Amino acid sequence: MPATEYSLIEEPAWHLRIWQALVRKVGWLGLIATGIVAVAAVPLVFVIYSSSQLSLSGWQALWSERLPGLMWNTLSLAVLVAIGCFILGVSSAWFIARRHFVGRKLAIWLMILPLAIPTYVFAHIYTILFEEDGWIGSLWMSVFGDSVGIPDLYSIGGVTFILSIAGFSYVFLLVRSALEHSNPSLEEAARIQGLSPFAVFWRVNLPLLRPAIAAGLALVVLHVLSDFGAVSMLRYQTFTLSIYLQMNGRFDYQGAAGLSMVLVFLSFTFLIFERWSRSRQRYYASATQLRQTTLRKASNLEQCMIWLWLGLITLFAFVLPMIWMIDWTLEAIQQGVLDAVFWGYVSNSLIVAAAAATLAIIVAFPVAFFHTRKRSTLSTSYIQLSSIGFVLPGPVIALGVLSFILAVLSPLYGGLAALLMALVIRFLPLAVQSQEAALQHLTPSIEQAGRILGAGPLENLRRVVLPMISNGMIVAWVLVFIDALKELPATLILRPTGFDTLPVRIWIEASEESLELAAPAALMLVLGTLPALWLMMRKEKQTIINN
Amino acid sequence: MKRFWQGGLVSLLLTVLLASAATVQAEELIVYSGRKDKFIKPLIEKFTAKTGIKVVLHSAKSTALLNKLRIEGNRTVADLFISNDAGNLQIGSQLDLFQPIKKDIINVIPENLKADDGTWVGLSARARVLVVNNKAKDLDFVKSVFDLADPRLKGRLGITHSSNGSFIAGVTVYELSTSKEKVMDWLKGMKENAGSKLFSKHSKIVKAVATGKKDIGLVNHYYIYRHLAKHPDAPIHILLPDQGKDGMGVAWNVAGIAMSKYTRKKQLAEKLIAYFVSEEGQKLFAGANSEYPTRVGVAAAPEVPAAGSYKVADVPMRALGTNRMKTLDLLDHVGMP
Repeated sequence: MPATEYSLIEEPAWHLRIWQALVRKVGWLGLIATGIVAVAAVPLVFVIYSSSQLSLSGWQALWSERLPGLMWNTLSLAVLVAIGCFILGVSSAWFIARRHFVGRKLAIWLMILPLAIPTYVFAHIYTILFEEDGWIGSLWMSVFGDSVGIPDLYSIGGVTFILSIAGFSYVFLLVRSALEHSNPSLEEAARIQGLSPFAVFWRVNLPLLRPAIAAGLALVVLHVLSDFGAVSMLRYQTFTLSIYLQMNGRFDYQGAAGLSMVLVFLSFTFLIFERWSRSRQRYYASATQLRQTTLRKASNLEQCMIWLWLGLITLFAFVLPMIWMIDWTLEAIQQGVLDAVFWGYVSNSLIVAAAAATLAIIVAFPVAFFHTRKRSTLSTSYIQLSSIGFVLPGPVIALGVLSFILAVLSPLYGGLAALLMALVIRFLPLAVQSQEAALQHLTPSIEQAGRILGAGPLENLRRVVLPMISNGMIVAWVLVFIDALKELPATLILRPTGFDTLPVRIWIEASEESLELAAPAALMLVLGTLPALWLMMRKEKQTIINN
Repeated sequence: MKRFWQGGLVSLLLTVLLASAATVQAEELIVYSGRKDKFIKPLIEKFTAKTGIKVVLHSAKSTALLNKLRIEGNRTVADLFISNDAGNLQIGSQLDLFQPIKKDIINVIPENLKADDGTWVGLSARARVLVVNNKAKDLDFVKSVFDLADPRLKGRLGITHSSNGSFIAGVTVYELSTSKEKVMDWLKGMKENAGSKLFSKHSKIVKAVATGKKDIGLVNHYYIYRHLAKHPDAPIHILLPDQGKDGMGVAWNVAGIAMSKYTRKKQLAEKLIAYFVSEEGQKLFAGANSEYPTRVGVAAAPEVPAAGSYKVADVPMRALGTNRMKTLDLLDHVGMP
């Protein structure tokens, strides 16, 4: 048969033809994005593979014994933390965006500073403060006496408290920025029509703010689902902690992978729901305006009320933990425990976080660019796949990466490669999303103009595209840097031998109850984050002005 | 923008440099350690001063390190593994992660405190005991850990969460010394007595008993002496349970060391183990935490009830590993928080 002959002759070129077809179909950019997403999906493949090894009876045991409790624990925690963050974040954002009061600029800072403190540091500090001889515990005892027990942090209430003060800043940031962009004439019209300020907030602001609130709460919920530090310190069994215990206590990877699959399913459902609800609220995006909102001056009474509320939030979310850290750090300095070894932890942390952030924005760019260039089912699914870092718990990502590197790239094992890969996968969604947002401001005509003027694709990229999105990239870098600096579970598993970072030391010292050693590490972590936060706030301001 | 990229490049470069610097030097041992740094460090510093062999400590939870060893397989850089729990050591042996240590080195340690095949050896032992408030009333009936399930102790008992390694090991010993049914009833009773407030740490149980919040608690012996070292006047005392003719004895557990199957520095590693089981090493290793040295003839700290002066449950330490999963299932079944 001639056809057979033909194919025989063409056989060597077979893979080349597919390759050419691929390049034609998705372009070089698409191919690079494909490669990146494929690597990012390694932990997911690991989970799917391991859970496929789980026998039917294994699944049944999970369904009947573990899942109902875990589901209830995790979901109720997510709902409670979302409520907590909603109250804290929206109220503070509204005061700051709608009233002029003394120290307003300071208040903005106070509301985002909690981002610098990791959840496990919050958990560690508050368990100590709530003890009978801790600051809060002894105050409680002197006020209420023995009759009312000190609140127990090792409970859903305690975990909600910790995760709410650690996470409300995300809601604050997004809602404040939305409020500052929203059209004040709508509110003014409502006021003229005789609505009370509260009714205005309820009937005008809140509906308009829905997308921002939803986006903020989505971030919060994803953090709750993937939090490892606080829940493990407070022994509250969520999916993440349970998966970790399943792997480490029982060496049951299949069971852990099974639980991870359920968690992935939950998180993806949530993400898709969130995207869908946002897509229905597009009207909001067009509601921006150019008129500067004039802030109403707060009356004296209002000033007091505002500061009472903001002061209360910041007291628990920043001031108290900071005082505790500084107090114990001074103790450590007196004891002379801050030696060269300690500064080694600091530089290790900074190096890892900076390298991870840099790598993350480099690999995120093709994925984000591919999506904004040619919006297709393929590119959308890439964006979804790249958010795997948000939905898989850190320990699972670490194990997936570890298995992958040992099997495929074993010469790289032992150095930082495994850790960096895990960190990049974990925080890729942050980098992709903020670059995607920045790229949306780039109209195709600008790019086309560059091409018409004779710039090649690379030159165009370098001279037109990158400068235009540099702000977005810096914000992305900062976001990844902050999270990578705080990252605990993957670092615990994948750090090179003897290579300790600040989170690792906090973890070790906290479990050994050596406060004078945990405190300076935590303080350095906070200080290391501050320049990054400052940079982000400055960039945010610039983007607001530019727009 | 340019500076931004340059910064990125510099940090990448640094990373590569650092990664290459992390490669191991010749006279260096890498120890995966699940024991608290501060208990190990003095010992290791002495060892390095004596032999010139550097030791890199890689600290984390024992179970997490075991998991790491297992996944790394023959690519592991670890030469030695230290755990606070005999169960972990035995599980490592069963997973074929370790290799036998030379008999001459470890024959100073009793048979029941090391592995059958010499793949791990216990270095220090601790006892599961009761801590009692001196002023607590109506506690005379408590002679055995099983009495902790007595309804008379409702609200007065302090125990840890059942995910605590020492708690799990204790349950294993009690189950092997009596029966599954007895232990299940006991757990249910204790769950009732302890109420919703379970302790995250043993040190907090001792503190609660010392301040009179609880009357009695189930802890490792050294937590009592650690508390007394800080507060010499604390109104607490130790109660050794299950003594007498029919008593099963106190449950012990050991911290120990194993040698990685894939170490390329067997001789150096055995030097370290030899030092750890030497009289000096034993005093330092156990003494750092008021534990019992496992080597026969080396005494524990003077405040601790001397080994041999009381009855210890007749369960070999390796059973803590072979029966771990059964115990975890049992705890799950009872719904122990």
